[in-house]
Amino acid sequence: MSTHPENQTARALELLDNLKADMSPLKEYKHIGVKGPRRIDGLAKASGQADYTMDVQVPGMLYMRFLMSPYPHAKILKMDTGKAARLAGVRNVLRFDDPEVGKEEIIGKVAGFFGSDRPLSGVAHMEGELVGAAVTADSEAIAEEALALIEIDWEERPFMLDPVAASDPAAPLTFPERYIDGNHWNRGAYDELAHGDVKKGFAAADKVIEFKFSRTANTWVGPERPCGVWKWNGDCPEIWLKHQRVHLPKSRISQWFGGIPMNKIQIHSLYQGASFGGWCQVDWNLGPLWCAALVSKRTGRPVKYIFNRREDFFGGSMDEGVYFVKVGFNKDGSITAVEATLYQVNAIWPVFNPVLHLHDNTTIPHLKGQCKSIWVNKGHTVPTRCEMLPPVLTQTMIFDRVAAELGMDPIELALKNDGAMGHDMAWVNEEKKQRGFQVRDSLKECVEKGKAEFKWDESWHKPGARKLPNGRLHGVGFTWAHEWDDSCGSGEFAIRIERTDGTASLLATGADNGVDAENTYCQIAADEIGLRLEDVHYNPQQYVGFYRMTPDSSTNMSVNGWAVRHAARILKEKILESATGPTALTQRGGYQPAFPDTSPQDLDIQDSHIFLKSDPERRMSLADFVRMAGESGCFSTDEFLGVRTAWSEPLFASSYHVQYGAYNPVNPRPRFCRQAHFMEVEVDTETGEIFVTRIVNVNDVGKAINRMSCEGQQYGGSIMGVSRAKFEEVVHDPVTGVMLNGNLIDYKIATMQDLGPVSTILVETGMGYGPYGLIGVGEDIGTVVPGLMAPAVFNAIGVRIDDFPITPDKILKALGKI
Amino acid sequence: MNKDIKNYACPYCGEKCRSADELKEHVFQAHKGRGLPAPEGSIKLTVNKAEYVIRVAPNWTLYYLIHDKLGLTGTKQFCDQGACGSCTMIVDGKPVLSCMLLAIECGGKVIETVEGIAADGHPLIEAYVNNHAMQCGYCTPGFVVTSKALLDRHPDPTEEEIVEALAGNLCRCSTYPQHPIAVREAAGKMKAAKK
Amino acid sequence: MKEFKHFNAYSIEEAVSLLGRYGERACIIAGGTDLLGKMKDAILPAYPEALVNIKTIPGLSYIKEDGGMLKIGALTVLSEIAHSEVVRSHWPALAQAACRTASPHIRDMGTIAGNLCQDIRCWYYRNQNNRFSCLRKKGGRCYAIKGDNRYHSIFGGSVSGGCLAVHPSDTAPALIALDAKIKTSGRTLDARDFFEVKPVKTTVLKADEIVTEIQVPEPAAGTTSAFLKFALRKSIDFPIVNCAAMITLKGDRVAAARICLNAVSVVPYRAAAAEQVVMGKSLDEAVAEEAGKAAVSEAKPLEHNKYMVAIARTLVKRSILACVGR
Ligand SMILES: Cc1cc2nc3c(=O)[nH]c(=O)nc-3n(C[C@@H](O)[C@@H](O)[C@H](O)COP(=O)(O)OP(=O)(O)OC[C@H]3O[C@@H](n4cnc5c(N)ncnc54)[C@H](O)[C@@H]3O)c2cc1C
Ligand code: SF4
Ligand code: FES
Ligand code: FES
Repeated sequence: MSTHPENQTARALELLDNLKADMSPLKEYKHIGVKGPRRIDGLAKASGQADYTMDVQVPGMLYMRFLMSPYPHAKILKMDTGKAARLAGVRNVLRFDDPEVGKEEIIGKVAGFFGSDRPLSGVAHMEGELVGAAVTADSEAIAEEALALIEIDWEERPFMLDPVAASDPAAPLTFPERYIDGNHWNRGAYDELAHGDVKKGFAAADKVIEFKFSRTANTWVGPERPCGVWKWNGDCPEIWLKHQRVHLPKSRISQWFGGIPMNKIQIHSLYQGASFGGWCQVDWNLGPLWCAALVSKRTGRPVKYIFNRREDFFGGSMDEGVYFVKVGFNKDGSITAVEATLYQVNAIWPVFNPVLHLHDNTTIPHLKGQCKSIWVNKGHTVPTRCEMLPPVLTQTMIFDRVAAELGMDPIELALKNDGAMGHDMAWVNEEKKQRGFQVRDSLKECVEKGKAEFKWDESWHKPGARKLPNGRLHGVGFTWAHEWDDSCGSGEFAIRIERTDGTASLLATGADNGVDAENTYCQIAADEIGLRLEDVHYNPQQYVGFYRMTPDSSTNMSVNGWAVRHAARILKEKILESATGPTALTQRGGYQPAFPDTSPQDLDIQDSHIFLKSDPERRMSLADFVRMAGESGCFSTDEFLGVRTAWSEPLFASSYHVQYGAYNPVNPRPRFCRQAHFMEVEVDTETGEIFVTRIVNVNDVGKAINRMSCEGQQYGGSIMGVSRAKFEEVVHDPVTGVMLNGNLIDYKIATMQDLGPVSTILVETGMGYGPYGLIGVGEDIGTVVPGLMAPAVFNAIGVRIDDFPITPDKILKALGKI
Repeated sequence: MNKDIKNYACPYCGEKCRSADELKEHVFQAHKGRGLPAPEGSIKLTVNKAEYVIRVAPNWTLYYLIHDKLGLTGTKQFCDQGACGSCTMIVDGKPVLSCMLLAIECGGKVIETVEGIAADGHPLIEAYVNNHAMQCGYCTPGFVVTSKALLDRHPDPTEEEIVEALAGNLCRCSTYPQHPIAVREAAGKMKAAKK
Repeated sequence: MKEFKHFNAYSIEEAVSLLGRYGERACIIAGGTDLLGKMKDAILPAYPEALVNIKTIPGLSYIKEDGGMLKIGALTVLSEIAHSEVVRSHWPALAQAACRTASPHIRDMGTIAGNLCQDIRCWYYRNQNNRFSCLRKKGGRCYAIKGDNRYHSIFGGSVSGGCLAVHPSDTAPALIALDAKIKTSGRTLDARDFFEVKPVKTTVLKADEIVTEIQVPEPAAGTTSAFLKFALRKSIDFPIVNCAAMITLKGDRVAAARICLNAVSVVPYRAAAAEQVVMGKSLDEAVAEEAGKAAVSEAKPLEHNKYMVAIARTLVKRSILACVGR
């Protein structure tokens, strides 16, 4: 029996429609949404058996280390590597002026990033850039020692660190190599977003305020350092790479050395010691891998490189920069216009405009935002936890100011301006209906739950108005945003019912960075097919063929969730068809279907058993069902013995889902799910110390599939957020441009003792565009919470601090104590 | 033979002597009461109950010896500067940072790594899995080992004691709230098992 | 790390003789938590040729009371001091200092002598591969003075007036406030005379001199002490400012006071002016406040570290009040 054509059409439509509610969710959930489940990676990780790229050793492996530029902007005039090459244990010294290095014009598709034009440059555009030479030796220690023996004559060039100063057309060029086309200034990419007419909006406002705020560099600090191993198996490379989006490097690698067919490239993507997007976003990180590939070719040995801790600090999050904001609003709290300009430091994708979120989630009719990426002599900035940091930060700063100006409860102000694309809630609700969602007020639900948990009404007060018995000032802050999962991409999944025992294998690219997504896929597959959860396992693919939509969790569930669900539904159909399908006839005899004289519609699967709906006693386990296919993949000894049993074809299905980036202004989809966050602080006015005493996160995730994983993103994001707001800052020496704190002693990330309890609340309105109405949650909290510290501290001390991180010196200064 | 050539090196400190007698005198003076020297750079240590005799270079850290040379890769290196706790091993009962300890100074020591703790079926492992006390998992072995050392000393720690003991372990994924829950759960199981 | 020779010393004499032979080219290694960090980052112009391990010397790890005097062996690790009942009850400032040092793991590894002898943490000085050949490395200039000096001295510099790197130890101010003595392989020094600012050096120790014991006198009747630390994080972090105070009361008047700040100057900073303020007075908020002000009256903060003055003032005030249970 073949699939109904109308099913196929329905399926095809569902595959590509990202603009509607889930039209066919399940009627009941068994594994989806339960507390737990047990992590599938748990045992391996807790017992130290989970392998990471850092752990890889291959027989005969050599170690590669790179020279770091001591200057922020300098050119190598002369380099003597003789002594390094002669050191015992050194196997290769690769130089920037090697003909083969020079020949490799780009190592990635996207040229034009710092250092990415060539794998090993002779010019450094930031201190610490890997330039000049790579030494390969029997051990890392020897390679290090050899690097110290390299003698270089540098030509130092002027450098700039401040984006506003560097944006002056008269400023010295920070990257002259890039401006061969005569475009002589430091401005990189530019993005503008305009909506309505801000002039009109300001003219109509009762009040207009202007302010500026800034954020210094903060970075990802992935616990596992960037590293990789390259081994040639003939002309087929075998690669181990720390990278959360292995499909990207694979397609870059296919362009190297005159081209390597994709199907000859094997990349082992082991467990990932997190990188939060960060380091994996850019192409320059492939320079070291390219060098390892070349040296591996020359030495005939596998080559491994590992960045040291300091090298991982170059580059940071793209909220780094200076923001200029103008806001117009009316006495009733309605915001009429916002104009914002961000001078963003070295942003590779400066398209995440400071007013982007105001467009996505407010009624504000007139918006203008500019994002100017300015090239300075520091590392580049990339999405770190999320590219939405600039718009989210801007939204928080604006709403808190306006609320304070009006003496209004910030929650009221949020509800007043909640909307989408300049429209009010009536319009938004109509949209919900049109798109098949039930109409619920997400922000209202979130703030009500959050207010109750946080005891907001008792806690909120006028700025600077509450002193505690312990002498500290008490403050609370609130902020909100929509939930987002808007990046573009596709996910490809396959599910296979294993022979012999009938368990299910989920197959897609491996890239486990800890969000427990793999478990979540299993929950969906289990419920969709009717399997016990323990019968479903995720088998990450080392051959990076099956793409997973950014397996790093950006837009993970809204794309991969669909792909798994499609595959599971196709597979279920296939199983039932096979159970009722024709008998097989072989040389020795015949095979019956497991459920003769029934049709697929008569059957269902539950607890890994196929059963007859009208007579549930007639059931057969999937294991028994597939066992007939035999362990050798065809027929069993039963046939040999002439026993007539049931038969099943090999059971395998694949599917996919694509999402065109919802940043696309054409045919966008309004955002319906909201999040609200609450923070309480105490400020010691004599030392400037901030104590974060509690946080409440409320996220409307649409539908929670894996609850503990969602909560993990909430408290995890909150703690990382506080860390970013309170401590994190990459410091460069203003005089020499050298990074001063590229280590975990001086760059401070929060410890277990640095904040109070975090309460997590999940709201499920079902208004996400993902399967079952879900929407992503992983990026949001760590991105929204850093900004929240500003309102909380303002509420405590009654003075604004417009410069992140909010450190004791800034508090004391704001209080006039220094 | 040239009397001035110092051919006799002291096995303890490398001091060069002109004659066997002079060497004897030096050893007697400088290293009175010492047993026979071990072969240069060779140490004996116990790792997860197994004994090893192995030659180590002075610049190897204990982390390098165990992770790279013995191939017990469960121990992870995050900061390489003593600032994160992810490389924690239990050495003679104490949780120490294996990136900040020279292997050559570990002669005679009894070392426990996460692999040993897991192999013993310690209830912490199951408690960590149950409570999602991990995300990327890179820091997790360091937490497990530190918690194990704590439970060895305090079989029934309070939440506060747990937080204090784990305050030197960094987790970038910020799984912190789950650890006290997991450790308390393991402590409870151990208590129940004793009864 | 590069190669080096490694010697286990089994007696103080053996260690001294080994050090004598190598001179400046050898380093003592105790817990190694400070030294190995320096070697990994190759921060100094010269790399040690040899390490002399003193952990193998028996009998150097102890905490004992001897005729009222507290004696702590050089190899005693900080956690033992932090948890010692004797220390906590009679010399609370020292126990609190040890308890707030670094992280639990480092307290289990780091020795008291290593804590006193540790090197500075100036982020120019500590930058990898000897990036800044500054005054403290016999180089030409101090980079902090015009650079980012948010964690540098608020009381001026040294090494021909230049170096602004603070002394980072948490236990040093406690020991100075408690009027401790430091016994070495050759002499016994007052804790307050122990520190010195010279290129690649933080103490007066000679190259072949080893700290063997810390001696803290019995507190006079009516004496209490306290230690407070301000750091950005609650764990792992070095102090931005710390302060130890020891106060002896006769009746309700202060009969003796020793107050020492650290991490604010190139060596631990005895706040003599603050001590004078409290002498003879009965302690209350106002007196303590005044003492705090006096403590920083000589401060000459740099461009980025004015906040440290406010914090130092506060810690002096609060540590005095902590001594009288407030
Ligand atoms: C992440 C981190 C955080 C830290 N935080 C703090 C903090 O908050 N507060 C603080 O005070 N410290 C802190 N430290 C410094 C820490 O190293 C010391 O506190 C520790 O006590 C040093 O002891 P050690 O035995 O490990 O010293 P080692 O590293 O062995 O030695 C340090 C120095 O002292 C010398 N030395 C050691 N013993 C003797 C001796 N007996 N006689 C003569 N010289 C000797 C060595 O030659 C070496 O130069 C921190 C260190 C790290 C890595
Ligand atoms: S403060 Fe001292 S150690 Fe730091 S750069 Fe200046 S001279 Fe060097
Ligand atoms: S890796 Fe050893 S403490 Fe961080
Ligand atoms: S789980 Fe990722 S660092 Fe802790």
